Amino acid sequence: MNPMRSIATLREWAHRLAGTIGRGRTDRDLEEELRFHLDLTAEEALRGGTSAEGAGRAATLEAGGLSQSVEALRDQRGLRWIADFVQDLRYAARTLRRSPGFSAVAVLLLALGIGANAAIFTLINAIMLRTLPVPEPGRLVQIARLLDGRPGVVSYPLFRYFHDNIRSIASAFAQVTSNLLVAIDGDEDFVTAEYVSGSHALVLGIAPAAGRLLSPSDDEPNATAVVVITDRYWSRRFGRSAAVLGKMMTVRDRPFTIVGVTPAAYQSARAGSAPDILLPLSAMMTPQQRQSSDFNFLNMLARLKPGATVDDVNAEAQVLFASFVQAQANALSEKERAAVLRQRAVVLPAPDGFNPIRDTIAMPLLLLMGIVGLILLLACVNLSGLLLARAPARSREVAIRLAIGAGRGRLVRQLLTESLVLASAGGGAGLGLAAWFSGKLFSVFVDGRDVVLPIGPDWRVVAFTLAVSVAASCTAGLAPALHAVRTNVNPALTGTGTARRRRLSESVVVAQIAVSMVLLVSAALFVGTLLKLQAADRGFTSDGLLVVGLRSSRPYPPARIAPVRDAILGTLRSLPGVQSASAAQLLPVSGLLWDRRVAVEGYSFGPGESETVGFNAIAPGYFATLATPVVEGREFTDRDTGASPRVAVVNESFARHFFSGGSALGKRVTSVDVTYEIVGVVGDAKYQRLRDSVIETLYIPWTQRPGEQPTIFNYIVRVTGGDPMRLAPLLDRAVRNADSGLHVRAAIAYDTIIDRSISTERIMAALGGMFGALALLVAGVGIFGVLAFQVARRTHELGVRMALGATRTNLMQCVLRDVLWMLGLGLPLGALGAFGATGLAGTLVFGMTAHDPRVFIVAALIMSAGALVAAWVPARRASRIDPIAALRHE
Amino acid sequence: MANRDPQKTDVLQGTLDLMVLQTLATMGPLHGYAIAARLEQVSSRSLQLNMGTLYPGLMRLEQRGFVRGKWGMTENNRRARFYEITATGRRQLSAERAEWDRTVSIMNALLNETR
Repeated sequence: MNPMRSIATLREWAHRLAGTIGRGRTDRDLEEELRFHLDLTAEEALRGGTSAEGAGRAATLEAGGLSQSVEALRDQRGLRWIADFVQDLRYAARTLRRSPGFSAVAVLLLALGIGANAAIFTLINAIMLRTLPVPEPGRLVQIARLLDGRPGVVSYPLFRYFHDNIRSIASAFAQVTSNLLVAIDGDEDFVTAEYVSGSHALVLGIAPAAGRLLSPSDDEPNATAVVVITDRYWSRRFGRSAAVLGKMMTVRDRPFTIVGVTPAAYQSARAGSAPDILLPLSAMMTPQQRQSSDFNFLNMLARLKPGATVDDVNAEAQVLFASFVQAQANALSEKERAAVLRQRAVVLPAPDGFNPIRDTIAMPLLLLMGIVGLILLLACVNLSGLLLARAPARSREVAIRLAIGAGRGRLVRQLLTESLVLASAGGGAGLGLAAWFSGKLFSVFVDGRDVVLPIGPDWRVVAFTLAVSVAASCTAGLAPALHAVRTNVNPALTGTGTARRRRLSESVVVAQIAVSMVLLVSAALFVGTLLKLQAADRGFTSDGLLVVGLRSSRPYPPARIAPVRDAILGTLRSLPGVQSASAAQLLPVSGLLWDRRVAVEGYSFGPGESETVGFNAIAPGYFATLATPVVEGREFTDRDTGASPRVAVVNESFARHFFSGGSALGKRVTSVDVTYEIVGVVGDAKYQRLRDSVIETLYIPWTQRPGEQPTIFNYIVRVTGGDPMRLAPLLDRAVRNADSGLHVRAAIAYDTIIDRSISTERIMAALGGMFGALALLVAGVGIFGVLAFQVARRTHELGVRMALGATRTNLMQCVLRDVLWMLGLGLPLGALGAFGATGLAGTLVFGMTAHDPRVFIVAALIMSAGALVAAWVPARRASRIDPIAALRHE
Repeated sequence: MANRDPQKTDVLQGTLDLMVLQTLATMGPLHGYAIAARLEQVSSRSLQLNMGTLYPGLMRLEQRGFVRGKWGMTENNRRARFYEITATGRRQLSAERAEWDRTVSIMNALLNETR
């Protein structure tokens, strides 16, 4: 296209756009020009010898063309479809204002539907779609070991090995998060610390807000101990004072100098964690962490070299990792070698860093997205029903407009504009609702976990809401609009012809029943899962238990550790109302697992069999405090010390598996060169999650725990009667009696821990139940509406029937029969849909299958009951019809 | 939305623009009726423009900046809207003319060959 012409076209459109908003020539101006033309035509005709009469006729003929020509000129002056749209908008707004009740209900329905969708999408956006706020996040890759198909942590030696040898990465850093008790100017403070290796800022491409960030030179063995604080902590602890640089911070009894502040936008590469301080990894590692290739605890993130791809890195990593594990395996016995060699490396694009939240709640979120999608569909179908119910009121208007020549397409557009106005209002309200709801929902989702994420609506959420609103307006409005314009002009004007509308309203109800059925099935599944989980045998009694986490501001010398622990237990036991107290490295249902390879006396493992069992270090009185039965032998006492013979307690699963039938007492178990004698067997307890099965577990006394000390122990306190949380305020002072450096990190009722461990299931049950109830309500209202309308319409017919001898029961049956066939159609349809859909929920379901017939039966019963309740009022009204009044009415 | 025959208008549109611009370029400022009369005369009455085609066409030319419309007085002292070709319009005219000539010569060559 030549440039002159395209400029001219642009200019034309600019003029027409201006003309659309009334900036062009006026109608009078146009008409005057045309009239002048007509006048000259008429004069010409006269001059040409046509009679005055003929000239007049010619003028009249042309005058017919006048209004058409003005119309053509108007079209050229503006942009017709915009002008039409604006006109439709005005008309729709006027129409809707005239029926405020209907409009309010419609907007409310859509606001709920769209709002729920926008809320879930806001979460999906925040958790699954956002990238790290760094330059070119698309060039970040995670290098990991493959663990159960998911990327896992790496050891420090492996990190160094990859870091130094992969050529297609520009640089890489390792990261781990930890909670610390630090001291600044003598004031102690709990902080979240991120330990990072020197290339951290380099890889992410971030610059300091003040001072400097950590650099590779901070990894040197003799580097000065420095710390960088985050913008958040700078505000929280130092009020953004510039004097913060050069201040000292005591971490684990060592002085660190504050050298810089991160930018405000800084976000940890581990999604959801909100660190207060950044410490050099190499200053914080223990010798074991630094040297052991088995000690996997680091997340590794790298930036691609220009031109390199993820596949390049992956190819290199595979080769390097193979030689790494080979070297590792060479140092091991034949038996252990296979497991080490089985490991695989994996390289993944990581524009959002390490995202453990995505891995855990992606599935529930996507399911919820499906559920709220159905809710919106239901809202649309229900709105369709409402619009159809308005059809008689509107049909005269539509018929008149058709009769005077309005195009059907144009009318459909106009009616759709009405739904669009409703959907826009609903969408606007929904967006507000979503902002509130998504925040609430997120806090429930992460309940108890220390997760911070920016959950604001951004352009993606707005665009999504817009798209959903438009889709909703089309879904809700199309069928009624098409129905309206298919009206035959004649019967509509004279007020007959409703059979087709009745069929259409009934299909709308059938659709509502079907959608509700799907939602009820999912509700039943999720509620059932929660009930089963709560009823699942845990192997201990959480009621009345308090869990206390302690931190010390400074490390204890090895000789102090045991006396401090004993003092803590002694202090806790002496508190009023405390029945018993104990401690463990891991607590049941904590989601954590410590597993170790063992050799069991008199048992030889099969070739493919796992040689690991669950491990735990516990204090005396542990099982008594948990109320876990000791089946055989004894539990640990104060006499099991670091100097006494090594002893162990096993759970029943362990005993059953390794000593099938025989007694476990007196048998020996060896792990990492230490042999323990089994002195007791206790009941099974679930350690990771309620839904997991029990694993074989070996308990050892905390005094005999091998490896580096101190390990952080969880203290448990059984409190007699009442809420165990009433002890919480007493704890801080009490533990300081045991040692002045101790602080209570957290005191939580055990029940809370269990609730948090099933927070996803609780959300799914609560939301599933709520949406199910909502669906039932909406469908019920739909059924009621349609039946009430039909009874009103059939008053005459019912009156005749009664006059001919039909009983009241007959008449009720007559109405209820309608509900039954609608149920008969809707329920199987819904069940079919649910059958296809619930398979997706498979992994979230517990204690039943996704296709459990009981679930479908319960859902169908609830739906039928709801439908019959909704039908009861119209049915009763039908049975109370006074035949005389009904006949006179006609 | 009725009374529109897109096919016919499209065929006319390009040539109508050319005819109007050429008329204004040679005759100077004219009102719509005079343009129609001139075209009718030149075509020996075989081209009769109706208002619904002529005036939207003029408006489009005006929106594109090829002509400028202004109310003025005729010799008989009647108010009429006069159209005048602009500098852009003249450039457009020569460009379209060249294109027209090329099209005609191609068509001629083709038709004469196949004859």
